[in-house]
Amino acid sequence: MKSKIVIFVAIVMLIAIMGYMAWDLFLSAPPEAKNPWEYKLSDLKRVDSSIPNYIEMKPFKPEMEEVHGVDVDMSGTIYVVGKNRVEIFSRDGNLKNSFPISGIGTCITMRNQLIYVGILDHIELFNISGDRIKRWKRTAPGSVITSIAVNGNDVFLADAGNKMVYRYTAEGKLLNRIGQKDTVQNIPGFVIPSPYFDLAIGKDRTLWVVNPGRHSFEHYTMEGHLLNSWGSASNSTADFCGCCNPTNFTLLNDGSFVTSEKGIERIKIYSNEGVYRELVATPEMFAEGVKGLDLAVDPQGRILVLDPAKNQVRVFVRK
Amino acid sequence: MPTRRVFLQNLIRGGILAGLGLLTGSLVFRSRKGGTCRLNISCNVCSKNGSCTLVPAFETRQFVWQLDPSKCIQCGRCATECVRTPSAVKCVHVYAMCGYCDLCGGYFKPDTKTLNTGAENQLCPTSAIKRSFIEDPFFEYTIDENLCIGCGKCVKGCGAFGNGSLQLQIRHHLCDNCNECAIARKCPAGAFSRIPATSPYLLRGFGKQPLSGDKPGEPESF
Amino acid sequence: MFRISREFWLLLLLMLLAGSSFAIQRFPRPEFETGYQQPDTMLPGPRAEIMAVVDLAVLILALSAVSWMVLKKRSRKGVFWVSMFSLVYFGFYREGCICAVGSVQNVTLALFDQTYPIPLTVLAFFIIPLIFTLFFGRTFCAGVCPFGAMQDLVAFRPKTINSKVDAALGMIPYLYLGLAVLFAATGTDFVICRYDPFVGIFRLNTGFSMLLFAAILLLTGIFIARPYCRYLCPYGVLLNWISRFSYRHMTITPAECINCRLCENSCPYGAIKIPNSVKYAETRRRRVRKLMFITLLIPFLMVGGGWAGSRLQETFAGVNRTVKLAKELLVSDQNGQDIESFEIKAFRSSGKPLTEVYQEARIILHRFLIGGWILGAFLGLTTGLMVAGKLLENHQSDYVPDKGACLSCARCTDYCPVMRNTMPTELNHKA
Repeated sequence: MKSKIVIFVAIVMLIAIMGYMAWDLFLSAPPEAKNPWEYKLSDLKRVDSSIPNYIEMKPFKPEMEEVHGVDVDMSGTIYVVGKNRVEIFSRDGNLKNSFPISGIGTCITMRNQLIYVGILDHIELFNISGDRIKRWKRTAPGSVITSIAVNGNDVFLADAGNKMVYRYTAEGKLLNRIGQKDTVQNIPGFVIPSPYFDLAIGKDRTLWVVNPGRHSFEHYTMEGHLLNSWGSASNSTADFCGCCNPTNFTLLNDGSFVTSEKGIERIKIYSNEGVYRELVATPEMFAEGVKGLDLAVDPQGRILVLDPAKNQVRVFVRK
Repeated sequence: MPTRRVFLQNLIRGGILAGLGLLTGSLVFRSRKGGTCRLNISCNVCSKNGSCTLVPAFETRQFVWQLDPSKCIQCGRCATECVRTPSAVKCVHVYAMCGYCDLCGGYFKPDTKTLNTGAENQLCPTSAIKRSFIEDPFFEYTIDENLCIGCGKCVKGCGAFGNGSLQLQIRHHLCDNCNECAIARKCPAGAFSRIPATSPYLLRGFGKQPLSGDKPGEPESF
Repeated sequence: MFRISREFWLLLLLMLLAGSSFAIQRFPRPEFETGYQQPDTMLPGPRAEIMAVVDLAVLILALSAVSWMVLKKRSRKGVFWVSMFSLVYFGFYREGCICAVGSVQNVTLALFDQTYPIPLTVLAFFIIPLIFTLFFGRTFCAGVCPFGAMQDLVAFRPKTINSKVDAALGMIPYLYLGLAVLFAATGTDFVICRYDPFVGIFRLNTGFSMLLFAAILLLTGIFIARPYCRYLCPYGVLLNWISRFSYRHMTITPAECINCRLCENSCPYGAIKIPNSVKYAETRRRRVRKLMFITLLIPFLMVGGGWAGSRLQETFAGVNRTVKLAKELLVSDQNGQDIESFEIKAFRSSGKPLTEVYQEARIILHRFLIGGWILGAFLGLTTGLMVAGKLLENHQSDYVPDKGACLSCARCTDYCPVMRNTMPTELNHKA
């Protein structure tokens, strides 16, 4: 009799085990969406969305796989470069022309009827129909060209790989280097932790260059003398966040700076003396983790923002 | 006297042997797409992806589990789901990608006022990252694996604000190499896969492409 | 003397190779002026490949040893010690993974998914025990499987289970095998590994629920000997079938059975077939009626089972992660989201289009439909055959092990008084 009870209990236990297996496999609830070690970036990014004085208009949609650079010329034509292609748009967003390039384009600038395209470690020059005029040699081994600026007979290349700005003539002859660490002249040297290094031509034959690791803008003459610099680091809206920001910038007609950052993705405007003025676009408008929001300003003052996550050129206009 | 029964028995035995032989043959000598398989493993990933995305395996085709940092969303399950306690997943520092920044996005909490090694400033719940000064303005960050639990907080910070040189990886001297990885089951991004044991790590460079040692001079693409 | 084994050098070489690939300069390495040397990212490698071959060699040796112990030496003690060695090696040292039981899933996955290259050692772990079983019976179960060894350790008070209950419970391994194959074939999960009771003990590192699972099973195992082996093990189904056709299965008596009945209660698993009558005759009519019943029953069970299996399509498919994601996305689309699960977050950041997920889920659901029919029909067939086996019992004159169910543990040999080399007497010689 006792035997029978024992057998019965044992069999019940066995069936219970099988029942548990079936329940766990088919009926158990999905795992919780709670991460005990969550790092809430969204808290950092929360900004009152009514603050910006800019509204977004209809974007341009280039047809390439990846977009990396944008520029506007003096007539308002928009040039976009990305993976293996350059596309040219008219002011109202119609595709005017497009042509292939021999690699991944990282930056683009259009001046003097020539399109300067940075392709990883060197630049190539094209005319507006897309024929390649010239291919320049790379600046030095390990070069990564992240920005090009042209002013008359001077071509400036920002080389993030060698952490240097190079000045060339329009024919391609190297004139001088800018930004090399020099304790006598108080030039701190560029700290470039990630491949984002932008520059732009300023007023009176000067050059503005971002020093991303030091979160500052440095003002050089074209011969390489450091004039002044501004910029500070923190997560607040008035400063540059993270380890290396801003990633891109452009200058408005009055000399004020439009900057874009990664980490806390936002577009801001600073006065021509480096005082924070206002927000153009908040982090909510961008996909989390997007990097390389290249900027350009067209003659009407519209701010064009390249969005690599959405593969678009987004347009912001003052209210 | 050999009967019909014995004959049938021998027939079935032969059938079983033949069946097992067929099974072995079909799984060992799989057809290779295009005949140019460089890997000797005949897995046909090339026919699925259009090109071979694996690295060579040894003859016994041993595979191990690994997670792909480019898919990882740092959900924290690597720390809780591993059958081992503490988890076999640890944060790995790819020094080659690190910017050595003063304000490290993976080390410091976002609202840190002074950049020092105080525990109250650190993101890491177990203070597993060690910060040491090298020269102005560079700091070295190393991970103490005995303390790291694989939660991914630093990975998220480094990925958002920095270069993404901190990546979660399964450490193979700790991993049991289960037939079905328990973390792989629960990973929301499906970042886990079996890769050849001869190349057991999947580290990602800029632009999320794999870091490999065979192209020294070329600059990294975006 | 300290000797460095070949495996050590191989492991060291692998580690060095893995670690050295990051000595190369990569953008954007800062320029260090103080002579700081950037450290290499350490990448320790996994267990050396050669060790998997060593495992295979140990498997073959253990199988040979136990088969010899069972068939030649007929020694229960020998089988016991081989099984203890297997418990230590395959259980605690290798931590129960990779095992022959789980290899069923790997083989299934390899057959259905062209992109899964099955490691050759796993294939060997599947095939080799089957081959030994074809020649010598289920000696794998007796002396090599660590699960069996674990359960043997606790089988203090084995009780006899009623044969009908035993037959009913004996259907569960077929269900488990079918589900394991179904889930492996659809690339959903390895359920055998998921519900592996002893792996936590082997690892000496386990969560509470796993420990409880193992404890209950072992507790049951005190009174029902080898419960996992008899009523759960999916690999046991294959071993059972193959063992029935084995060339040289173990016998209780080394020569002729003298019907002394001493072995009757010696088998803790109830695997001994007992003689059922001196003269047993069934009228032809009854037999024909039974056969007709069986001929009708089996197709009925197969169709019924297949239909039931197809009805369970959604339940089965719900285990698959793609189907789960598709369901979640569907629900969140309709209701709007309050808290987004990680699965949805990851999906959104992957950039995959919604339609692709739905399409994949649909294909998988369809595979589960077909799989459900096949699983159900398979279970119907096996249940029908089991019933047929019970109905059509044959005349049994000697005490012999049930070739399918006998685990070749050799306990019964200790009870048999017959000496080897006994000449068969006229009396025992049956036609």
